[in-house]
Amino acid sequence: MSFEEVPHTADVKIHVTAPTLEALFSETFRALMQVMYGTTRGSGTLREIRIESTDNESLLADFLSEVLFVSEVEGLVFSDARIRINGFSLIAEVNGELFDPARHSGGTEVKGISYSGLAIMHDANGYMLDIIFDV
Amino acid sequence: MLEGINRIGIHEWEVPVGYVPGMRVAGRFFLSESLAKTLEPGAVQQLANVATLPGILKNSLAMPDIHWGYGFPIGGVAAFSVDEGIISPGGVGFDINCGVRLLSTPLLHKDVSGRRDLIDELFRTVPTGVGAKSSMKVSSQSLEGMMVKGARWAVSAGYGVERDLMRCEEGGFMKAADSHFISAKAKQRGIPQGGTLGSGNHFLEIQVVREIFDPEAARAFGLILGQVCCMIHCGSRGLGHQVCTDHLKILESATKKYHITIPDRQLACAPIISPEGKAYFGAMAASANYAWANRQMITHTARQVLSRMFRIEYEEMPLMYDVAHNVAKIEEHILDGKSREVCVHRKGATRAFGPGSRDLPIDLTSVGQPVIIPGSMGTSSYILRGTQIAMDRTFGSTCHGAGRIMSRTQAKKNLNGREITANLLKEGIIVRAHSENGIADEAPGVYKPSDEVVRVVHEVGISRLVARLSPLGVIKG
Repeated sequence: MSFEEVPHTADVKIHVTAPTLEALFSETFRALMQVMYGTTRGSGTLREIRIESTDNESLLADFLSEVLFVSEVEGLVFSDARIRINGFSLIAEVNGELFDPARHSGGTEVKGISYSGLAIMHDANGYMLDIIFDV
Repeated sequence: MLEGINRIGIHEWEVPVGYVPGMRVAGRFFLSESLAKTLEPGAVQQLANVATLPGILKNSLAMPDIHWGYGFPIGGVAAFSVDEGIISPGGVGFDINCGVRLLSTPLLHKDVSGRRDLIDELFRTVPTGVGAKSSMKVSSQSLEGMMVKGARWAVSAGYGVERDLMRCEEGGFMKAADSHFISAKAKQRGIPQGGTLGSGNHFLEIQVVREIFDPEAARAFGLILGQVCCMIHCGSRGLGHQVCTDHLKILESATKKYHITIPDRQLACAPIISPEGKAYFGAMAASANYAWANRQMITHTARQVLSRMFRIEYEEMPLMYDVAHNVAKIEEHILDGKSREVCVHRKGATRAFGPGSRDLPIDLTSVGQPVIIPGSMGTSSYILRGTQIAMDRTFGSTCHGAGRIMSRTQAKKNLNGREITANLLKEGIIVRAHSENGIADEAPGVYKPSDEVVRVVHEVGISRLVARLSPLGVIKG
């Protein structure tokens, strides 16, 4: 289970692999938070996010878009997520802390989650995807 | 050059119909041979994808700062028939009306040279970076004003002077704005961010006019050699990002509803005349207005700082011009000898209306519209003017910036924020930023040389060089 940033000229492109769909989602979520706020992120404040969508890719994009929204309006920086997926609906318990400029200013604002080239792949080894964050 | 692309002029290339399935028109882009070396296949594919969209007119176009984005390529321009064409957030982007403006001042280079305190004070007063909140209190009523009346609202609220509005594209607001199509979520994001710069490639720079190429146009624009100016580059912040996210979702269903085949989900679209298309257009225009108001509010803060520190009057810092880089608009253009309304998408491209255009302020009608091309951090920015050739060939459009050539991963690996800041300081450029990664990310070497990009648009004639400015100080996120 891992994520890595792969070269992309304009934006941030992330390659994620995971054994399960839930783990794939939570890794992509962690990648998003790392891009925005760096690696020093604490926990202690919980939020629940519920999403229903029409396919796995939309479910992921909608979930991450909701994370961007909650993070910005509540000033929260998340460290990890516990995710349950049933069909095309998702419940995520995300764990984080209040934004602290001293520790969380190392990243870049993400403007949106792009659908360009977004496809969730599945084979015997598990799940993988490439996703582009517009920065 | 990549295989399958035909050269049709010194700096002009054609992507023929058939390059990707379903193209309705050919693609065309402008690029010099040296810039062609860094052209990505993904960018050409995106240019060709745009050519498959219903109602596209003439060509799917790209400017010399073309690079790989999402949906449209960055540097992409396409016009669609208002009756049969579509509108797509993929042709505008998440940062609706990301744009740039230039304020001139009565100060000369010697007045501000080495004044670190000016850059420090601007960094202290203009909120920048991730998580920055505005010190200007925006109420929900003010937010409505920002969305409906844009820069005009800001001026009436005391953040500028009436003359500023004459020097904004569209007079600083699009009349088509309809805030009913802006979600509660987008509004919630918009309220605390009015007057904030953001992060990424957004910046505020103190610059000096280093070269004048066109004295007559420079005079009309109010620019003289050695003059200190202030450039502001930012957009519609979280409000615009949320509007794009919300409407992509709606338009994705609409794409299916209207049986439109698209090669990339990010090109989700709807007929311009459909309820979904109109809703996106109204919301996008309201977000564009928010961005104009936002730049006006930052302008106010910058003017206050300059006024206080150098004892100059607010009115002595006129707005040279303000242009949008990411926007879709209904404009009148001549096609096959007849004037008609079309929906022009500019995604990382600048409007460059030529002399005689109706949207220009009276004192600029004989010169053409000012075009502002920001350089990357530490490099030159350029002022150009719009031309008739742009009206004839690119729906009155030109490039918007330098265009990236190095990925962010590579930039972080190869470049060190602290070293870059030290090197820029040796050149007399002071940089203040929240994030060292952010500095490496936007360093001069990660972009195409901006002088080569503007040389191409100048030689093609879709805008003409007027002046070159170089930075003295930069603040960014």
